[in-house]
Amino acid sequence: MIEGLFNQPNYLAAKKLLDVSELRHEAISSNLANLETPHYKRLDVAPNFAAQLSHAVHGRDPGQISDLKPELAVDTSAVSSRKDGNTVQLESELMRLNQNYLEHQLETQLITGSMLRLRLAITGRPS
Amino acid sequence: MINILTGIDSTSSALNAERIRMDVVSQNIANVNTTRGPDGKPYTRHQVVFEAVLNDQFASTSPPGSRPLEVRVPRVELDRRPARLVHQPNHPHADANGMVSLPNINMYEEMVDLMSASRAYEANLSAVKTARSMALQTLSIGKR
Repeated sequence: MIEGLFNQPNYLAAKKLLDVSELRHEAISSNLANLETPHYKRLDVAPNFAAQLSHAVHGRDPGQISDLKPELAVDTSAVSSRKDGNTVQLESELMRLNQNYLEHQLETQLITGSMLRLRLAITGRPS
Repeated sequence: MINILTGIDSTSSALNAERIRMDVVSQNIANVNTTRGPDGKPYTRHQVVFEAVLNDQFASTSPPGSRPLEVRVPRVELDRRPARLVHQPNHPHADANGMVSLPNINMYEEMVDLMSASRAYEANLSAVKTARSMALQTLSIGKR
């Protein structure tokens, strides 16, 4: 049962979050690319994903966590401050870019940490 | 092919589009005093049109409203505002009343356009930089 090693809810949740940061980076790149496209509406990860993930993690059901599918959606909370109906704001978009980068860093460290702990448990020495 | 740099399609299309925009603006600035073109008329201001394009990579997974978009310049259009008329009777291109038609270019407008193009270019470059660091970070998973 080698899969059992990688089925802890925390590890699966960190993996899912890593997918989310990649997807969010995709959305932010699209927003930055369309900074000046008239009528463009900014994209982000669908807002209900956080609730779904926390529900799945509380249920402690590995299957439910790995079945989650993060999706992109038009950000309906963003309002346009410009005449052309574009809802992207350069500053807040760059803030989100950096925030997302730090989140990604945190998640890779979480995953690395849990892998190193597994290795320690298998080999019995901290290598 | 796997895409190791996330969002590179959108970003590179935007870098390309902003570069075209900068080219067009510098062409306008260069021709701010051109009173005769190949067609015998004063130079007319050019302007770029931006358009969002759906990214095919996500076609199977997301509905059309929520897919990352690329940007492109479908065409460069002419500005339809009339030419500036200046009274300069000794100019070789002056008409019977001594008026010369100068291009419909406003220098301040062009400078602002140039600045916002270069800001947008920088923003997209920082998106690529971040994507690169994220990819390196991902590749180092499992190392201490």
